[in-house]
Amino acid sequence: MRKLEEEPDTYEEKFTALTKGVNIKVKDWILNQIGTSHSVLEVGCGTGVLAANIALKGNEVIAIDKNFQMINTAMKNYPTDKEVKLTYQIGTITEIPTEESYIDVIVSTFMISELRPFEQQIFLRNAWKKLSQNGKLIIGAEFVPSGFWKIVFNLKRWWYKKKLRRLRLPSTSRVKWFINYLEPIGFKIVAEENWKHGSIRALELQKTTNGDDSEPGYYRPPARKFKGFRSQMQIYKCIFTGQADHIPIEPGIYQSGHPDEKSPVIATANYLYTFIRVMRALKGIDSWVLCVDSDGINVWCAARGNNFGNKQLIEAVEASGIENVTTRKTLILPQLSAGGVAAPLISSESPSFPFNLLFGPVWAKYLPQFLKDRPAKKPDKWKLAKFTSSHRLRAFITHTTFLLRKIFFLPSIVLLLLLVGLSFIHPPFWISKFWRIGEIWLWIIVTNALITVLFPLSEFTRKFIIKGIFFGILNVFLLGGLTWVLHSNFFLILWNVIFYFWVAFFSTMSLSGYSMATSPGEIQKEYPTFRKIHILLLIIGVALTISGIVLF
Amino acid sequence: MKKITLKTTSININIVLPKISIDQDLCTGCGICFEICPFGIPQPTNNGKFEVLEPERCTECSACKRNCPAMAILLQERQGCGCLYDARSRAKNPQSDSCCG
Repeated sequence: MRKLEEEPDTYEEKFTALTKGVNIKVKDWILNQIGTSHSVLEVGCGTGVLAANIALKGNEVIAIDKNFQMINTAMKNYPTDKEVKLTYQIGTITEIPTEESYIDVIVSTFMISELRPFEQQIFLRNAWKKLSQNGKLIIGAEFVPSGFWKIVFNLKRWWYKKKLRRLRLPSTSRVKWFINYLEPIGFKIVAEENWKHGSIRALELQKTTNGDDSEPGYYRPPARKFKGFRSQMQIYKCIFTGQADHIPIEPGIYQSGHPDEKSPVIATANYLYTFIRVMRALKGIDSWVLCVDSDGINVWCAARGNNFGNKQLIEAVEASGIENVTTRKTLILPQLSAGGVAAPLISSESPSFPFNLLFGPVWAKYLPQFLKDRPAKKPDKWKLAKFTSSHRLRAFITHTTFLLRKIFFLPSIVLLLLLVGLSFIHPPFWISKFWRIGEIWLWIIVTNALITVLFPLSEFTRKFIIKGIFFGILNVFLLGGLTWVLHSNFFLILWNVIFYFWVAFFSTMSLSGYSMATSPGEIQKEYPTFRKIHILLLIIGVALTISGIVLF
Repeated sequence: MKKITLKTTSININIVLPKISIDQDLCTGCGICFEICPFGIPQPTNNGKFEVLEPERCTECSACKRNCPAMAILLQERQGCGCLYDARSRAKNPQSDSCCG
């Protein structure tokens, strides 16, 4: 949708094509639900079609959009044939330019999927504040359908996301937990309509008050288990898929033990693995754990990639209402978030930010002692990120499974099918070659084990290409030896040398990123040269190895 | 190390800028950089301030620079997590976000 927004003139037409006309049905339904003589606010008005129609029904409308181009287009389409009360303005969910408790109806279509979970909560809270007593919020959006259609939806979405990734476009968020936010914040569903098996829904929500009618409530995600078989399986899942997959949990406030207003407040990322490790490390010490929405990425990578910074922290504090559960004035952050969080700037970026920031230890396992001692100066092991053997072991598992899943799986299947096809021509010869695919997988595992074990030896240089050549040469001897044990064929070894070298050369570059001590500047600088060597070696190596399967 | 070559009509001057350095006049010796650098790059000096002895080990994560209250740290921040896939996606699209889980 953001792509369509770049061209406001064709937005409506293209968006109607994208939703196969359902957007028009949604707007008709909303128009039907709104009576006349109300004050209406439309948030994310786009080209203003709906706002103009609501105004033509005799309502007083303020329509806002954060996109200046959209407002411009909306102004061009301003209804002139009839006297209407319609104002278009630049505005966002956090800066709604109207007075509190004034608006009767707030309308928003196809906007919440553009908002991240905390932003959705902030939007709901701001909408609540702007609505009059018994005011209504009408929302049209894409939702995840239930039952069988959920599978169809997820398949379609998977395909769609692949396409967006190919086109390098950001994708919309799944409106996964939105319905859960309504009641705690102060809304109830009074009418709804579903299209396309519930993948597009329109909801009419009534503002509710729980005794205190001056403030909307806060949503808090349900408690999550972090011990036992299931969470252990989740830990393994993260280790096995770590590099490629973001695994987000609901951002928000979680509890360790039974915290009260004097308990420490700790912030962390919303990557499932990180969450489980932090909760386990705390060992039930009474504390509040605020999961920032880092898009399901670990603290270090998120901080370095704009996913865990002041913006996310300010948003988390605002949406969760964490300052209401504690009298503490210090928020303890993971030390590794410092690459994204700029503590000295937080008070100027958010003047009402209620906490002082303190960077805690580098690994969660030192949290209990840190909370107890609160040292002004941390001992070295609490603050230095060393690539220890246990880190290397986890990196080895993550990286090897990553290579096998994402890089070697499809080529292996193609090779297998090819061999199956050839087996029909000359069965005994080709069937005997099947296990050579397994041998390639074994090479990858052995190579990565070699790099993992001997990684400290490569610290004589910071140049990845040199490290790659170093391990490439070692690997030629290692895999050559392995091939000698399995085949006792010198020519086969000679035939595979380039491939042996390439696997290690490529894996070194790929695995180095796990060490944390790599510099993006250095790796980005070496990348073009690396890429040339890598592609050349890959083409020659694969061609020779495949022909080796045929010849030997 | 960043090499900058200044060319004038008559002379060439090669200046080698370290990846990171701490301005000794601005440093107040508060030690925040020392506490948050995961690689122990800022080190205390004899006069109660901090200095960088091995700038080549810096990963340009900018933690120290972002959090230095005196703005005493000179460093060219580099976005990215320092892995191959990040370098690859940034080579194609410099605006891309972090790749990792």
